[in-house]
Amino acid sequence: MPRVIEAYIGEYASGKSENAVNRALELASRGRHVNLVDLDLVEPCYTLRPLKRQLEEKGITVLAWETGEMIGLGEIGNLLRPEVRFCLHRPGDVILDVGYGVFGAQVFNLIEGADRNPDLKVYVVINIARPLTATVPDVVAHVRELGRADGLINNSHLGDETNIEFIQEGARIVDEAARILGIPVVATSVMEDLAPLIGDKDCFGHPVRVLKRFMPRAFW
Amino acid sequence: MGSKPIEGERKVFMTGNEAVAWAALAAGADIMYGYPITPQNEIMQYWTRLGPKYDKKFLQTEDELSAGFTTIGGVLTGKRAFTATAGPGNVLMQEPMSMAEAMRIPTVVVIQQRGGPSTGTVIYSQQEVTLTCFGGNGEGLRVVYSTSSHQDLFDYTIKAFNTAWKYRFPTFVLSDGYQAKMRESVVIYDPEARGIQMVPTEPYVGKAGTPGKDRPAAHLRNTYNIEEELLEVLSKDIEEYERVAPEIIEYDAYNTENTDLLVIAHGVVFRSAAMAVKELASQGNKIGYFRPITLRPFPKEQLRQATQQAKQLLVVESAYGQLLKIVKDNLYGLNIPIKTLLRPGVGITPEEIAEKAKALLAGKEA
Amino acid sequence: METKEILPKMPKSWNPASKPHKFCPGCGHGLVLKALGQVIDELNIQDRVVFGCDIGCSLLSWDFFNVDTVQTHHGRTTPVMVGIKRANPDLITIAYMGDGGGYAIGSQHLVNAANRNDIITAILVNNTVYAMTGGQMAPTTMPGQKTETTPYGRDIKEAGYPMLGPEMVAAIAHEGAYVARGSIAKFRQLKTFIKKAIENQMAGRGFSFIEALSTCPTNWRTNAEKTWDFVENIMPKYFPIGEYKVPGGKEE
Repeated sequence: MPRVIEAYIGEYASGKSENAVNRALELASRGRHVNLVDLDLVEPCYTLRPLKRQLEEKGITVLAWETGEMIGLGEIGNLLRPEVRFCLHRPGDVILDVGYGVFGAQVFNLIEGADRNPDLKVYVVINIARPLTATVPDVVAHVRELGRADGLINNSHLGDETNIEFIQEGARIVDEAARILGIPVVATSVMEDLAPLIGDKDCFGHPVRVLKRFMPRAFW
Repeated sequence: MGSKPIEGERKVFMTGNEAVAWAALAAGADIMYGYPITPQNEIMQYWTRLGPKYDKKFLQTEDELSAGFTTIGGVLTGKRAFTATAGPGNVLMQEPMSMAEAMRIPTVVVIQQRGGPSTGTVIYSQQEVTLTCFGGNGEGLRVVYSTSSHQDLFDYTIKAFNTAWKYRFPTFVLSDGYQAKMRESVVIYDPEARGIQMVPTEPYVGKAGTPGKDRPAAHLRNTYNIEEELLEVLSKDIEEYERVAPEIIEYDAYNTENTDLLVIAHGVVFRSAAMAVKELASQGNKIGYFRPITLRPFPKEQLRQATQQAKQLLVVESAYGQLLKIVKDNLYGLNIPIKTLLRPGVGITPEEIAEKAKALLAGKEA
Repeated sequence: METKEILPKMPKSWNPASKPHKFCPGCGHGLVLKALGQVIDELNIQDRVVFGCDIGCSLLSWDFFNVDTVQTHHGRTTPVMVGIKRANPDLITIAYMGDGGGYAIGSQHLVNAANRNDIITAILVNNTVYAMTGGQMAPTTMPGQKTETTPYGRDIKEAGYPMLGPEMVAAIAHEGAYVARGSIAKFRQLKTFIKKAIENQMAGRGFSFIEALSTCPTNWRTNAEKTWDFVENIMPKYFPIGEYKVPGGKEE
């Protein structure tokens, strides 16, 4: 059984954490051992930390600080947890939730063995409602700037105001950008309430991943 | 890249800090000065990402004193200049804003409140109300908009530039770390496409011509020789502030006629309050809300009118009585019981407000 | 009119309405501002200068010139001038301050403007005391010097050493910066330094900083002779006069 090693990367507030958490839960539900790794180094106080215990109860190993362990909710620096550095050496699947920032895929320099791990896939999460990734040229430029991308995920949505047309428009833009970049579209992500309306494939035939919302609970 | 950051309008999904950066761009702001502090950092980060594409400038200063005073410098040249800060940074910001108040310099400052006193926490609070409304060694001659959504942040950041330049009082957009980081959809737009005219700016220094020959030199002062001189200037400013206040004041009210309970809240807490009130009203309770949007100047007459039709008030805020103090001050002389739900530095849910309101409506709580 | 001939010749950029100025008899500010006024005239920049004055005696210069002038707060003239210059680089911004404003309450602004190589000119008048507040110890008070807050003389073990401003600024400044210490006791040299400092800004090369050794007979409680002796002979022993950094690196 090959290991699943996936990193979710992309623009600020594009849905990286939501996709990473859901992917980890999906793998865990199939009985796999999953390590979920918090690699958000720019805005560390607003990520997986508040969800840590809840996810651990579902059998996932979460490599993240707990909010209460951090002084000032992350005010005092972006501390990398030592075991995060060696996460690829752990048994089981590894899902990395990478924060945004100007350094893009350079963040993998912090992970031992990332540069030569044959299984690591770096997936860029795209929401076309984000102003800087709204058009095909913007998405292409954004992905190229990141430095490494093995696939795109269409995560286009408008929060509570999302509709199917918007998701399909996202699929169109992401599909075209992926062709230009020469990388596959891994999936279109859809919130569970809209999932029945779209089926298991988007209009370009890319598989649909169904998301449960976790991140709103990650505040406070 | 087009000359306009936003053509027409479009619906996007973003954080509150980004909404501020986009609004400043849309408003035609020319330069931002700032110093990093959580939770306002992404305003600077997005301004610096977007700015160069539209020939906008940025200076990262050595502290918030400098951020405030350089912003004043930028405004003096006739540019729409702004800064953003929070918490301890807001404390330092009061010195330059006191100068802006004294010299009627139309600075725009976005405050993303965080928990205090001192370094406190970084996400959530409404504890900078007193500081933002009345900070500095002055009389609080400033405009403070309290936002409660991303749309507010976008709309009122644009409006702040216009209010500042129209009335020449320093103008604040008061938000908080939760709104700063929260994600929701927002319609961003070119103000012109909405028929919003940006108030023209003008330089205070460096106008055309040689001073003393073609025009008088600008000698801008904040120091006075005798007390009467200061009083004269200040009286004029106060008179003008009072006179324009009715034009600036904004509020939102719901179900205020003959209520058993009127809930008063601002900012992000208003979101919870509105949900609780509407839920209880739908169950047949005589309950309404009053939300001051401008905390300075305060919608005094409107609140007094609503209060005169209410049996009791409930003030809800994530602070230990900062809004409460303003409310009491503005209701002086009215005989009405004022109840409170004060939770300094932490969030308040609709359920908590509903529970408190229900108890008050049932007369279970004195 | 006959009296016209005996009136001192005022720089064209001075504001005649505010003369005679209000500085104390024997105060050095008038000479620094005379040098600056002559430089503004010679460079023909009266229409482009924005002059910012700090709090302290330097504030008395707020209507000294017929140039656009901004009173700021104590220590905050540097950031106001930086803000103006950043927003409108066509203007020539001159931050005028005392030693307290520049080296104590506003030292972080001086250090950071110098390090950023901001294209402004700062002129700091060093008279070794807080003069306007009544003669307390300043960052530049000399070892052993008596002030209202060092009644037994400045004890460097207790109160620390006088601040060596140009030395510090030159040490952190970058290529393109101009840093010098002049003295009102050497007027022509001081004027040359000020002119070079403003020309440096006009050329867009970098930060320019001038410290001017000056006099405060009122707070020193000195007569004319002793005043001159202090600024001409005693102060330079601790505060050496000269250029500390010039673009290209050929200090005088």
